[in-house]
Amino acid sequence: MTTSIEELASRQVEVPEGLESVAWKWMRYSGLLLIPLVWGHVLIQDVLVGVHRIDLDYVAMRWASLGWRAYDFALLAFAFAHGVNGLRQVLNDYITSEKTRRWLAWLLLAFWLVLSLIGAAAIVGGVRVP
Amino acid sequence: MEVIRLNITGLARYRGREGQLSFLLHRLTGLGTLLFLSIHILDTATVYFFPSLYEHAIDLYRSTPLMLGEIILVFCVIYHGVNGARIAIFDLLFPGKWNIKTQRRSAIWVLTIAILLWLPAAYLMARSLLIHNFGF
Repeated sequence: MTTSIEELASRQVEVPEGLESVAWKWMRYSGLLLIPLVWGHVLIQDVLVGVHRIDLDYVAMRWASLGWRAYDFALLAFAFAHGVNGLRQVLNDYITSEKTRRWLAWLLLAFWLVLSLIGAAAIVGGVRVP
Repeated sequence: MEVIRLNITGLARYRGREGQLSFLLHRLTGLGTLLFLSIHILDTATVYFFPSLYEHAIDLYRSTPLMLGEIILVFCVIYHGVNGARIAIFDLLFPGKWNIKTQRRSAIWVLTIAILLWLPAAYLMARSLLIHNFGF
């Protein structure tokens, strides 16, 4: 007797707890949170306001509100960490050497840290008048 | 290079239908969004580090190619979000539903919802492009 591929059921496996299982959960929970955060940001800035009305004054006006600064900080923290971990997962599909995977993970961690710090410094420091 | 060549021929030969399409779209939209986000963190950071450069960065975003890119970016963000919600909901709430029949249907739903959400946004952004860059 043969079973057609459509009828094959999923199977449950025990996954050991570790960094990879934390990363797996992180992608799902942060992803769900990013839907309102990113879509809200894109809807306001790209669709409703538009890049022609965005300038230094606009950013200064937005960041005058602590709430929007907190919003942008959450975006930076969740979106960029989600994205860099996603890149790591994609690259791990093409890299099979454990050694290369490890130094790549460190490289990506450094990339994430540097850009996150630059972005965070700007949100905290705010707009400087040229 | 061999890895890339093998992957491209593999992608063309492997007939994975809806599942393969959503896998590919999820990756491409995610990587595209990450590329933009990395640049966007740096251009926004100029408001603090080099404020005089910010207007120059915004001028680039106002150009026609980058405004077209923005419309594609919004599709990436919408598709990645809808498909990501599918993955998260099935993984966290209905792991038993990862069967081909259900997932074929849900992959088509995801693409349909993403396009429907994207169209009004694309319309408004295309209108803004025509008004500002082509004097409509």
